[in-house]
Amino acid sequence: MSFNLRDWGANLWANANKWQRYVIAGFIVVGAFSLPLLEGTFFNTPSTPFVSVLFYPIGVYVLMALGLNVVVGKSGLLDLGYVAFYAVGAYTAGILSMHTKLNTWEILPIGIALAMLSGLVLGAAVLRLRGDYLAIVTLGFGEIIRITALNTKSVGGANGITNIPNPPTTLGFKFDLDHPRNYYWAVLILIMITILIVRALSIRRPGRAWEAIRQDEDVAELMGVNTYKYKLWAFIFGASVGGAGGVLFASKAMFIAPNIFTYNISILILAFVVFGGMGNIWGVVFGAVVLSYIPEKIRFISNARMLLFGLVLIIMMNLRPDGLLPRKKREKIGVAGGKSK
Amino acid sequence: MDFSILTDQFASLTFDGIALGFIYVLIALGYTMVYGVLRLINFANSEVFMLGSFTTILVATKLFHHTIESDPLTGFKLVYTMLAMLIGSMIVSGVVSVLIEIVAYRRLRARTSNRLTSLISAIGVSIVLSEAVRMATSSAPMGSPRLLDKITLVTIWGADIRVDTLLVIVFAIILLITLDLFVNKTRLGKGIRAVSMDYDTSRLMGINLNKIISTTFLIGGLGTGAAAFFYITVYEMTRFSIGFELGLAAFTAAVLGGIGNIRGAFAGGIALGLIEMYASAVLGTQWRSITAFVILILVLLFKPNGIFGESLQQARV
Amino acid sequence: MNKKIKASAAIVAAFALSFGAFATTSASAATTVKIAYQGPLTGPEAQTGTDSIRGVKLALKLYNATNPAVKVELFNGGDDQGDDAQGGTVGAGIAADDAVIGVLTAYSGPTIAALPSYKAKGIAIVSPSATRACLTDPTNACYGAPVFHRIVSNDDLQGPALARVATNGVKDPTVFIVDDQSSYSVGLTAAVKKALGTAYEAGDSAAKGAVSDFSATIAKIKQTKSNVVIYTGYYADGAKFLKQLRDKGYKGVYAAGDGVLNSQFPKLAGKKQSEGARLTAPTVPLDVASPKIYAAFKKEFKAEPGVYSTESFDATNIFLQAIKAGKTTRADMLAYLNSSSFSYKNTAGITIKFQASGDLSGSGLMNQFVVKSGTIKLNGKA
Repeated sequence: MSFNLRDWGANLWANANKWQRYVIAGFIVVGAFSLPLLEGTFFNTPSTPFVSVLFYPIGVYVLMALGLNVVVGKSGLLDLGYVAFYAVGAYTAGILSMHTKLNTWEILPIGIALAMLSGLVLGAAVLRLRGDYLAIVTLGFGEIIRITALNTKSVGGANGITNIPNPPTTLGFKFDLDHPRNYYWAVLILIMITILIVRALSIRRPGRAWEAIRQDEDVAELMGVNTYKYKLWAFIFGASVGGAGGVLFASKAMFIAPNIFTYNISILILAFVVFGGMGNIWGVVFGAVVLSYIPEKIRFISNARMLLFGLVLIIMMNLRPDGLLPRKKREKIGVAGGKSK
Repeated sequence: MDFSILTDQFASLTFDGIALGFIYVLIALGYTMVYGVLRLINFANSEVFMLGSFTTILVATKLFHHTIESDPLTGFKLVYTMLAMLIGSMIVSGVVSVLIEIVAYRRLRARTSNRLTSLISAIGVSIVLSEAVRMATSSAPMGSPRLLDKITLVTIWGADIRVDTLLVIVFAIILLITLDLFVNKTRLGKGIRAVSMDYDTSRLMGINLNKIISTTFLIGGLGTGAAAFFYITVYEMTRFSIGFELGLAAFTAAVLGGIGNIRGAFAGGIALGLIEMYASAVLGTQWRSITAFVILILVLLFKPNGIFGESLQQARV
Repeated sequence: MNKKIKASAAIVAAFALSFGAFATTSASAATTVKIAYQGPLTGPEAQTGTDSIRGVKLALKLYNATNPAVKVELFNGGDDQGDDAQGGTVGAGIAADDAVIGVLTAYSGPTIAALPSYKAKGIAIVSPSATRACLTDPTNACYGAPVFHRIVSNDDLQGPALARVATNGVKDPTVFIVDDQSSYSVGLTAAVKKALGTAYEAGDSAAKGAVSDFSATIAKIKQTKSNVVIYTGYYADGAKFLKQLRDKGYKGVYAAGDGVLNSQFPKLAGKKQSEGARLTAPTVPLDVASPKIYAAFKKEFKAEPGVYSTESFDATNIFLQAIKAGKTTRADMLAYLNSSSFSYKNTAGITIKFQASGDLSGSGLMNQFVVKSGTIKLNGKA
């Protein structure tokens, strides 16, 4: 028997009964929440504080990779401008904090709503396009958002927005510079909510529709799937997650500027998704963790850092073209996933 | 907004826009050739351009020992020096392009995995190349000696027709015609069209796929190398990040015209050059790329496959 | 599958192990303190950081070669890619290393992002290049005192000087300003505009590094019949712009600020095209300031100094001067820089002091330069 981490994990879950599943899920949750305990161990990042790194880049990027995964991985829509929604969320936080007294948790739903709205507007206009045409249009949209922010004096232009307030103390958890752990926990909760929603959608009608669209859009359309509608929903859902990431990031960083939201971020997040294994939640999480952790771990070899990152991408893509933990092959679903589906 | 500039400087802006457009056309060829055959956005093409631009300068400075302060050349010496620069850039770009295909795409293609994997692999190559050059040049821009004096040949309605920009236009047209003839008239060109039309069937028909694909990458690379040479001739400066800056514009041009289509690359490149020039003049340079993207989105809404809405094979058959 | 997963696991493990091994080797001895350089060493902004950190390295090398009682090391890992998003994380990392007693921060954005960490730990900053006005503005949210200091001029100092130098001797000046949309450039543009008053005619913004072709901008300059053009960005784009401007027959004045002050500028712009270009800066290029240090720089790095190389060299020397005076803790360092008796003689021989806000104080800091037959020549006070 060859060992395969993905199948092993899937089997474990599939063969477990209700209570065993609670135990497994509990282990994962507790494990994720206690990651800050690893500070100072082998996993420590040498020149950046480990717990801060857990929040940004790792936590925020995992969250966004999960959002993009629905668009690219589940529905097969190539989005090269995902950073736009991140920017919309962050700028919502920035602008509202300038003009209102709303706190982060009150801004969060507004940021998500505005990101969804921009997803709707963009999606409604361009989702009739296929494949690579969609890619360039989304890329353009990302640039449009960034350059507009750069050219707009009322949102600070190149200087951006400073002094965005931290979230208020919530349930006794303080959110400030000395408590990066609480930020990590906050983003972790958002990640878990996202995972639960994506899982729930995946095994229901939208998930099946996305899968059909990804495999063959024309056939899906013929079979009576309203492809436009489901593509739009995938887009909007992805946008909402990106917006949430943006709001949270802005409230921790306290400072945003247009040059944070470059096209590179879109590419980076796409790399997480593909590197980890498109369509598979755990693969995407794993990919985002590994790829956002490595540059921090090797920050001290600063000069060759990005070069190494590029090499890792080439080598890993060649060795494992479907990602570290790829989605299950369809033919296997009947066997391994029989019980859960 | 300032529309009076359009009437004031119209000829000048138009000529400059067309000249810039031809540079885009040549880079766009690299994207379009590969896309036409493999349905793959060759993200690493921008770095091929970057390497070509450095090669062009290095041929002049290292091989012919010109310095950045050298005086312009004339006569026969000018011709052979520039030819050497052009050929050097084309060879390096062509070879790098073929190597990229072997390193980043061939293995993945054999394993028939999805195209996004190749995309990420290409992004990896692109990061490696630009970072390697960044480290080698310690991020500094590299200037080129002015070998071709920028003589104004004639002034038409206030637009200076300069010898360097005219050279770009003439050579680019020659190159496009040659390429068009190659794809249409030669045996290898027929092979390229066949693969672009139906990948699997052409394999069944006994076409050597790897050879065809390598040829495609070679041609794309050669075109990109030529673009790099002309870019240097006109703008006389490069740096490690130039690939990204121009690659994005060229890619936009390719899609605007209809990607996978040589004539589309031509139309898209010229259109983009003009759009950028007019938008910069009327709205301000800070709005140039936004205008380009907005027009791209609008064009795609009405013509979802670009101005020349067919792919390589449909246009030919 | 089995073999492949092993292979990939092995690769990941190998990476992790090698990085871990490297990471543990950076222990510090008792007689060694560190200073940190937080700036872009990779990514699109890497050039500024590379030029800048060489000034730091050179200063440290010259200092450590004298066998001092307290050796000074450079903190390893201050690369923020000039990215505002990474600034906070990198700053927190630097602040967490107890051996670090002073920081040089390169870009304003990442500096602002990292400021909370430095303030909390009381680490002194001497910035060679963060020019954003708000950093030394007590009424602004991003005010950096007491930790923040800079030896680069702020916009309020340079703006009027640049306006004066640009229009000097020009009859009926009509000024056209081109900025590069960086926060340095936007701030400087605003200050220059204010100083120009009615002489200001129009302007254009060409994002840094994103524009190859300035034809449209030049068409506007021709249309407005401007006879003075001021460029407020950095030297690479500034040279590219000037070259195209002259090639298109512009005969008026070209002036620029300290971002353009680089020995490569006249070379990139061309000997003929750069002739007569006017520059202002609170410093002087390394080759003018000190041929000896310039030679040492070229020997050490086999490259020309760039923007802010001199400032970084000076900023490092400020820390070294304090360390020589026995200030080897964070608190001592900060108190030393903030004391009213502090002064430092920079590479150009100008004595500088800090105001309470962290800005340079004193007059006569601004110099003007003119490009003559391919080299930048000092042309007196601005």
